Amino acid sequence: MDSSKQTNARRHFGAYDERRLRIKDDHLARVLAGLDFLLFDGAMGTQLQERGLAAGELPELLCLTHPDEIVQIHQAYVDAGSEVVTANTFGASALKLGDAASVEDVFQAAIACARKSGARYVAADIGPTGTLLEPMGTLPFDEAYELFAQQVRAADAAGADLFIIETMADLAEAKAALLAAKENSDLPVFVTMTFAEDGRTFLGTTPEVAAATLSSAGADAVGINCSLGPKEVAPLVERMLPWASCPVMAQANAGLPRMENGATLFDVKPAEFCEAVAGMLDAGVTIVGGCCGTSPAYIAGLGDRLLGRTPSPREMRDDLAVASPQRLFSLPMGHVGVIGERINPTGKKKMREALVSGNYDAIMAEAIAQEKAGAQVLDVNAGLPEIDERATLLKLMADLQGISGLPLQVDSAVPETIEAAVRSYPGKPIINSTNGKRETMEAVIPLAAHYGCAIIGLTIDEKGIPSTAEGRLEIARKIVEQTDAYHIARHDVIIDCLAMAASTDQRAPREILDGIALVKRELPGVRCVLGVSNISFGLPFRPLVNATFLAGAFAAGLDLCIINPLQQRMSDVVNTWRVLSGEDESAQSYVAGYAGRSDKPSNRASDAPCRDPAAPDAAGSQSSPEGETDPVAKAKGLVIAGRKGPMPQVIADILAGHDALFAINEVLIPALDEVGLRFERGSFFLPQLMASAEAAKAGFDTIKAQASDAGAPSARKGRVAICTVKGDIHDIGKNIVKMLLENYGYDVVDLGRDVDPQDFCDAVVDQHIKVAGLSALMTATVPAMADTIELLHDQAPWCKVIVGGAVLNPEYAKMVGADYYAKDATETAKIAGEVFAADAQDA
Amino acid sequence: MLESYEIDLVDRTEVLRYLGYMGQDVTPELDARLDEEIDHCIRTSRPQASLRVFDVESRSQREDGTHVVHLAGSPLELAGESMREHLDSAVKVGAFAVTIGMGVERELRRLSLTNHLDQLLFDAAATALVERAADAAEASLIARAHEFGLFTNYRFSPGYGDLPMETQPPLLRELGGERLGITLSPTLLMTPTKSVTAVVGMFEQRQSSTRASCAHCPCHDFCKIRPTGRTCRG
Repeated sequence: MDSSKQTNARRHFGAYDERRLRIKDDHLARVLAGLDFLLFDGAMGTQLQERGLAAGELPELLCLTHPDEIVQIHQAYVDAGSEVVTANTFGASALKLGDAASVEDVFQAAIACARKSGARYVAADIGPTGTLLEPMGTLPFDEAYELFAQQVRAADAAGADLFIIETMADLAEAKAALLAAKENSDLPVFVTMTFAEDGRTFLGTTPEVAAATLSSAGADAVGINCSLGPKEVAPLVERMLPWASCPVMAQANAGLPRMENGATLFDVKPAEFCEAVAGMLDAGVTIVGGCCGTSPAYIAGLGDRLLGRTPSPREMRDDLAVASPQRLFSLPMGHVGVIGERINPTGKKKMREALVSGNYDAIMAEAIAQEKAGAQVLDVNAGLPEIDERATLLKLMADLQGISGLPLQVDSAVPETIEAAVRSYPGKPIINSTNGKRETMEAVIPLAAHYGCAIIGLTIDEKGIPSTAEGRLEIARKIVEQTDAYHIARHDVIIDCLAMAASTDQRAPREILDGIALVKRELPGVRCVLGVSNISFGLPFRPLVNATFLAGAFAAGLDLCIINPLQQRMSDVVNTWRVLSGEDESAQSYVAGYAGRSDKPSNRASDAPCRDPAAPDAAGSQSSPEGETDPVAKAKGLVIAGRKGPMPQVIADILAGHDALFAINEVLIPALDEVGLRFERGSFFLPQLMASAEAAKAGFDTIKAQASDAGAPSARKGRVAICTVKGDIHDIGKNIVKMLLENYGYDVVDLGRDVDPQDFCDAVVDQHIKVAGLSALMTATVPAMADTIELLHDQAPWCKVIVGGAVLNPEYAKMVGADYYAKDATETAKIAGEVFAADAQDA
Repeated sequence: MLESYEIDLVDRTEVLRYLGYMGQDVTPELDARLDEEIDHCIRTSRPQASLRVFDVESRSQREDGTHVVHLAGSPLELAGESMREHLDSAVKVGAFAVTIGMGVERELRRLSLTNHLDQLLFDAAATALVERAADAAEASLIARAHEFGLFTNYRFSPGYGDLPMETQPPLLRELGGERLGITLSPTLLMTPTKSVTAVVGMFEQRQSSTRASCAHCPCHDFCKIRPTGRTCRG
């Protein structure tokens, strides 16, 4: 039955219309439309304990061994008024059950028990896998998905009426479970996450982020369960309400757990519990029940509260809302937002090099710099013909999540790549982009609908970019007709009227601005975005033209700009526009940022190199060691002292009288050798070695920048691939080795941590790398090291392998088949030097 | 039982020890940076522990001769020579899992991608901090033992001696590790990595490991017995 027909337009939750749901009856359809309340049950675990059933390792097995007791518990809830009983399948995944029972048998038995209670609806319960997903953990998204999919198929076959995915702390895992449910069943799916008192899940997700992400991705209800009592849950669940395009549910604990004489106690009594839940109902929560510590008495009390009530109307926010796992970016109509454009290899040599080599340091620094400069969303593009775009984009997005809280915009022309990226993204991304071409719309718009993304639509179609505003509107209309058909909310649709060069057609700017105004007027609710820099193509002093055009576009109704926020002029326009539009209330941000600024023209060129903001310069950086005046001695002194602040200036002084090779071979390398010697002797300890490496790096960076200005090839010594082996997530030692190798002039291909042997081997083969460094910190991961070496010897026989790490020693190294053992980073650099020297002799 | 700890101080010499410091001359810049990362780590951390006390049910020997200590009402088995010695004549066993939280883990990851020296310093601070949190958890177990009129020895973690890493999954299950946000990788590594699990023996007799004075006890700052005018020595 398609329940949308019964919904009241006032609260039309459209997300589930994308697929035709199998909804058991009319009441459930009204629940999903937000028109009826639904009463769940309470705790299972504490009820088992009360019946003297030791929970043991796997309470789910009790469905097989003690079905009568399980039925009794369900029955008691039904008698108390529960409309839904939750089958005892919380931990019934292949990962947790192991050999004890099959997933299918447990679901079959558990759902039979629930069904026997006579409940109106039986919910199949799906809890977390208990293993942390990548990138923080080791479980790949696709493997988590498979575990959940198996549960979903088993539950559907066993006759469940709906799914309750609950107690999720990781948004990636919640999304994997939700997708598994949507893609393997047509039953309704409810998803609840669990929050700590600070209003975040263990992994840092807020209620707003959870609500926006999961409801957009197709959850039929979202909410909160477990961990907290109803008083603590109430304000958190209320924060979900404005952002959830579906009903919101709450299943609190009976207070915070407390241990007394070995028993877990919950202090909130039924009356108090129900009073707190009543407040949630007033706020707009429509699905309620209990979690740990609650019993049929609590449910009976809730039933009384629901008697004769109908759901209160709910205010929904109409903002464009996208989210990273930690942060919601919401843009109300009338506000303007900034999307950082810098992570894109097109026309950027440094980015290209970084993407090709797999060394993402420069990209990460760029992301941090953009965030600091005011970007609210980061565009991510890995479209280079010479690399695997899909794999690169996935890796980049995982790394970016580690260093920035900004939501990401997936920028690709390949639908399969877009799908891979948005599918596993733990948040709500923007897709960049579709356009008016039928084929593109058919491929990309369904992805935005299925995965719950905002989407950019370019006003270009089979006939090209129209020259007029009306032509742009027509294409926008075509796109919005499709997004409407897929029930994508208008505020998630962002039209790009495409800037064209003013120098080739001076009427173009006017048409673009009119196009923005027309789209905003004729297609109410949609947003407009613009990448402005094309406008100035062919003109001198482009930043000025771009800035003026951006101001005009804001006046025409532009909502979002895709710019380089590090360009002061562009940020100036954004910041001043926010004052003029009233977005920056009382001009507070403007005053804070601009008071005392003079009107001297900015000397920041468009591609001003940004400093690494995560690395504060040493204090008093203008003074040099011991008043030294000879720049060579000064530079050596700085490296040895580990002071990077004055380094660029001192190296620049040296380069005024010498060439780059002198600066490297006569200044930096000898200083580093001295540092290495001191480290070996024990007169330096590790942080000093690294501070010196940082100082030297600052010097190398200066040399590199000058060399590339002069077009001179850099003097690189060769490529080294490094990683921490599969199963091991310690990466400090590997990172130190990387730093030192780079200092000595090697290009380091860093595959990261927990790296699959074949992936590492593939990188070595693809780039024909001569030296590989493997790190392992635990005995348990040494076999993975041996596997990696075996693969390398087999598939990349030219490659010499150096191993290191806490559990390694020379004997162990020999045992795993390594060519060399290095006890620390300096020794690794030495060995690499020997290998490359020998190699050069052979050649 | 879940506990949270407010820890606003980390022993700097301890952090330096983790960094391999042996009295080298350190520049003021590096010193300042270390202080900054220690402070940063304290601000980012959320120390939380889960604790339980079990009765020792029985002791047995497997076919291969391995000694096993069985706990009442729990499938957890503490196997090996180390446990045989550590829990010899113990009547109860206290266990805890403690973590300083996923915020620290996220920060470690961020630094791993941005600044390796800061990562090293922050990591050392985090190691010192989680040990401090383990001191606090141990102090709670000492106080619990005191309530029973028992004496404790000291904390012992899986992976040390011959207590196998395979003890981690059932131990964390018994402690409700997921409530703390602690999960295990297939190689039995805990995430957040700055987490500790351990068991402490509880005995009717005073233990040789019991501190002769409170002054040098690592649990001193967290002691719940001294405020009552008594000590864990009896």
